[in-house]
Amino acid sequence: MKIAVMSCIHGNLAALEAVLKDIEEHSCEQIYCLGDLVGYGPFPNEVVNTIRQLKIPTVQGCWDEDIVEGLNACECSYPSLLAEKRGILAHEWTNNQITPENRQYLSQLPETLKIGNICFVHGSPQSNHEYLLAEMDAFTALERVLASEADVLFCGHTHIPYVRTLDSGQLEVKVSQPDSENNQFLSFTTPLKRIINVGSVGEPRHGRPNATYVIYDTFTEEFELREVAYNYQETCAAIIDVGLPPIFAWRLAKGLEYAEKAEDPTHICER
Amino acid sequence: MWAILSGIEGNLTAFQAVLRDIQTLNIEQLYILGDLVGINPDSEKVVQRIRYPHADELSPQVCRGWWEEQCIILHGLVATGEPTELEVQYGAETAKKLWDSVSSETVKWLAALEFGFVELDCLLIHGSTVSVSEELTPKTSPWQILDRLQRMEVNHLFCGRSGEVFDYELQAGSIATTVTTLDSQHLPQTMTTAQKRLIGVGSVGRKPPKATYTLYNPYTNGVEFRTVYY
Repeated sequence: MKIAVMSCIHGNLAALEAVLKDIEEHSCEQIYCLGDLVGYGPFPNEVVNTIRQLKIPTVQGCWDEDIVEGLNACECSYPSLLAEKRGILAHEWTNNQITPENRQYLSQLPETLKIGNICFVHGSPQSNHEYLLAEMDAFTALERVLASEADVLFCGHTHIPYVRTLDSGQLEVKVSQPDSENNQFLSFTTPLKRIINVGSVGEPRHGRPNATYVIYDTFTEEFELREVAYNYQETCAAIIDVGLPPIFAWRLAKGLEYAEKAEDPTHICER
Repeated sequence: MWAILSGIEGNLTAFQAVLRDIQTLNIEQLYILGDLVGINPDSEKVVQRIRYPHADELSPQVCRGWWEEQCIILHGLVATGEPTELEVQYGAETAKKLWDSVSSETVKWLAALEFGFVELDCLLIHGSTVSVSEELTPKTSPWQILDRLQRMEVNHLFCGRSGEVFDYELQAGSIATTVTTLDSQHLPQTMTTAQKRLIGVGSVGRKPPKATYTLYNPYTNGVEFRTVYY
């Protein structure tokens, strides 16, 4: 079955519509969404309404969670104090705009979805705030897939798409216990595992303003990283019109994270 | 040489027996990896004994354990509202006993304890780098054990949550990985991991009449498990 997986729409309706059109042209049988429907962008309700109308199975992203539970992530969610300040502005604006029905919808989204040997999460199986970056240590990446009890782990959150294969994992272990006379020597192996990061529909950071998502064939296990051009200037203008920080429009136009990188992207917020 | 203890659980007799054993050895550092208190009327005395060691005893470095965490939750000193984990595992009656076993002044002292210590290339902690509740044993997935070591970039992780004594050595590891992005496909790479160890330090007070704890020589990486009957 050919599926389309997208994430991080962030209130960007024009980008979502362009991606939905591209998905239709590629005859995908099912769409999945990895959360962050809101935040940064000017059309949070319109985006949530579209996802609801199309009945797209969706997991909860960190922005969706914050709109439901209040802003409770610690400063580790932002790469700098300046980024945090702007993020709080975007949160407050979105919080004022979102309808009760849409807030209720966001509140009931699951943190993970599991379909066969595929797991869908926003950040990682352990936290929707954790960044699974392409350059992450390979053993750490493998542990995240194993923790999901799947062969293929779909995630978003970083806004940069990639596919990472993790193959022929092997560990040699020696266990000594006082109650046991002999040491135990154990060998562990893992079959092929994959992390597929689907990038971002509405706030890409791969260096271009185009929306990104992934098409995956569950039978052949073939994947295609899709990049869809659309009229992003329309969203940039709307960001400024509704009074969101103009830097979000600049960032969308560049397709880049403008601030410095977080020091520890794998840090899990305990709050 | 370091002496590393955990799981006293308010068992003063067991703790004093271990202290006497330590006195016979040439110990430079004493670590207590949590669970000082438990459902035991002597919990308060154990804490006092740790806070105020005798003149000829080492002053221990102490971190927070599972039972300390439950006390702190019970007394409302953390954001978590209900002592759910305690009630699920032991029932509401135990929550009441724990409340009666440890004074609020002592709970405030427990709340200020460190989550763990990093010394040299060692992490000393009650549960794991993820949670005070996480129990790492030889049956834990080796990938998970490696991850918990890597999170703090250490080569040795000493833990006490399970109460078991074991020396779990990750001797070698490798994995092949390839990354494909929108613009390129990187060549396959084989990554390897350095030797790492997880050491279960035992339990002083959980299994009478037998107390177990661990000695570690940071200069030779030698580990010795001690058993004291009381």
